[in-house]
Amino acid sequence: MTEPTAPTVTGEPAGRTTSGDPLDATPGAGAATAGGAATAGRAGPALSATGVAKSYGSLAVLADVHLSVAAGEVVAVLGPSGCGKSTLLRVLAGLEPPDRGRVEVGAEVVRGPSPDRPMVVQGATLFPWLSLRANLEWGPRALGNPRAGAVADELLAATGLNGYADLLPRQLSGGMRQRAAIAQVLANQPPLLLLDEPFGSLDAQTRLRMQEWLIGLLAERRTATVLVTHDVEEALLIGHRLVRLSHRPASVLDEITLDLPSPKGRATLADPRFVELKATVLAQVLDA
Amino acid sequence: MVLRQVGGKTGFDLADVLAPSAIVPGPRRRLSRSRQVAIGVLFPLLVVAAWTILSASGAIPEQRLPPPVDVVRSARDFVVAPSRPPVPGVVPFRGAAGEHARASIGRWAEGYAIGLGVGLPLGLSLGLSKWISPALDPLFQAYRAVPITAWLPIALVWFGLGEGAARFLVFVGAVSPIVVATADSTSRVPRQLVDTARMLGTRQRDLARRVYLPAALPGIVTGLRLGLTLGWTSVIVAELTGTTRGLGAMMFSAREVSRLDQIIVGMAAFAIIGLVGDLLLRAVTRPLVRWADA
Repeated sequence: MTEPTAPTVTGEPAGRTTSGDPLDATPGAGAATAGGAATAGRAGPALSATGVAKSYGSLAVLADVHLSVAAGEVVAVLGPSGCGKSTLLRVLAGLEPPDRGRVEVGAEVVRGPSPDRPMVVQGATLFPWLSLRANLEWGPRALGNPRAGAVADELLAATGLNGYADLLPRQLSGGMRQRAAIAQVLANQPPLLLLDEPFGSLDAQTRLRMQEWLIGLLAERRTATVLVTHDVEEALLIGHRLVRLSHRPASVLDEITLDLPSPKGRATLADPRFVELKATVLAQVLDA
Repeated sequence: MVLRQVGGKTGFDLADVLAPSAIVPGPRRRLSRSRQVAIGVLFPLLVVAAWTILSASGAIPEQRLPPPVDVVRSARDFVVAPSRPPVPGVVPFRGAAGEHARASIGRWAEGYAIGLGVGLPLGLSLGLSKWISPALDPLFQAYRAVPITAWLPIALVWFGLGEGAARFLVFVGAVSPIVVATADSTSRVPRQLVDTARMLGTRQRDLARRVYLPAALPGIVTGLRLGLTLGWTSVIVAELTGTTRGLGAMMFSAREVSRLDQIIVGMAAFAIIGLVGDLLLRAVTRPLVRWADA
């Protein structure tokens, strides 16, 4: 249905579209194309998921998902509400086992949660009884890193929250909490970050500021990222590559490499290429 | 989780009981704080005044209820009069306030400490395990339905007269709300928090101590307070078990010689000590749960 649109949008060969044919999205191929397009990253994919399926009782949530992320690459996963995006992320994080298929992070098969692939969800996941500083130190301390205090200082600077170190999470604004929640999991220097609608609960202006902050942070740290969202603009702005999921049970409809000029930010919103991409992707989403 | 929460919010509004909110639409009109305090002081004084007048006029016979002035005099005797040398088997009254209060508070503290030691780990494991809870829940519901007084005969058989039975009864009273509140609030800890801790590298065996316990603490404190109060009410039952020291022992001894003034002094002492105990517990736990204050 939407298959032919992808090539015209991206100007890439039709082979990029993986809809209906799982073989097109084998980890090697996916990593190669993505790595070439977005970041000339380190060798080997940061993440490769092949044929992932998941059901809850009789409810099939994920049908057959193939996804590959190169080191340092930011992949935006776009899908209609209730399509299983969050389930996919929980499987990638190792919080839920897949019924079928295989998830590998680095060279390791994912069997449980790990500080190498933390997930941040909408609404902050900070520990409410701890100060911001203690929240940022939690990860390094849990791993026995003696530099926990220094790591927290760096992250306080990176989030612009220096003056708030001793406050409790509930004393911070929504945007601050969300930044802090992302910083909290970055404290362990994960090679892969999983974000589930991280800015969904914020107002539009705050969200744009957060998005610009995240773009800068991910570029600087070269953290491979899977960003799940239903917001087309957010997907185009933050992602190097866009992966579209079908309705439940989810499988990959198509992929688009987002060849937008860097650095991306609020100016990108007025870029003709961005406007064109947004119109096309929105049309695809609305027609689906 | 099948266990029901006890308490939740402590204290209730009389108006809520008298007039269900479904019948009274909109917010209730409230008096200003200072007026509430003024009425709270004046009304009890009014009751005492009425009590004095009714006693003086002979409307209330002295053997039914002694006049307030007699109660106050007894209270003074109890607290400040010089104590007499102890006579075996006799429960002292004059100047014996400290002695009785110490005995009662000691039983309370020991029984409560055992209740804490058993209740917290048991409640945590009930709240954490999907197996323990369904297994223990029916037994626990049955246990909660048995009043403290009904434990007295078996306590006497197991522990004999005296201290052992007393501690056991305080334990029985205190442990149940601690277990229920701990299990309930542990099972309500958001999964997100636990997931986050695991993704930050926290080991599985550290989750109970580092995540579940602190996250559940505000709910647990409610149970601790309720357990403290129930433990204190158990003290008086416990002091029926043949002790000669303790506020309950003093009151039962006073009943044998029909000294109502002394009985009322004992009741007042129970009220004051129970209240102070609750205030102390709140003061100790407040810094730990301040983060959850609305």
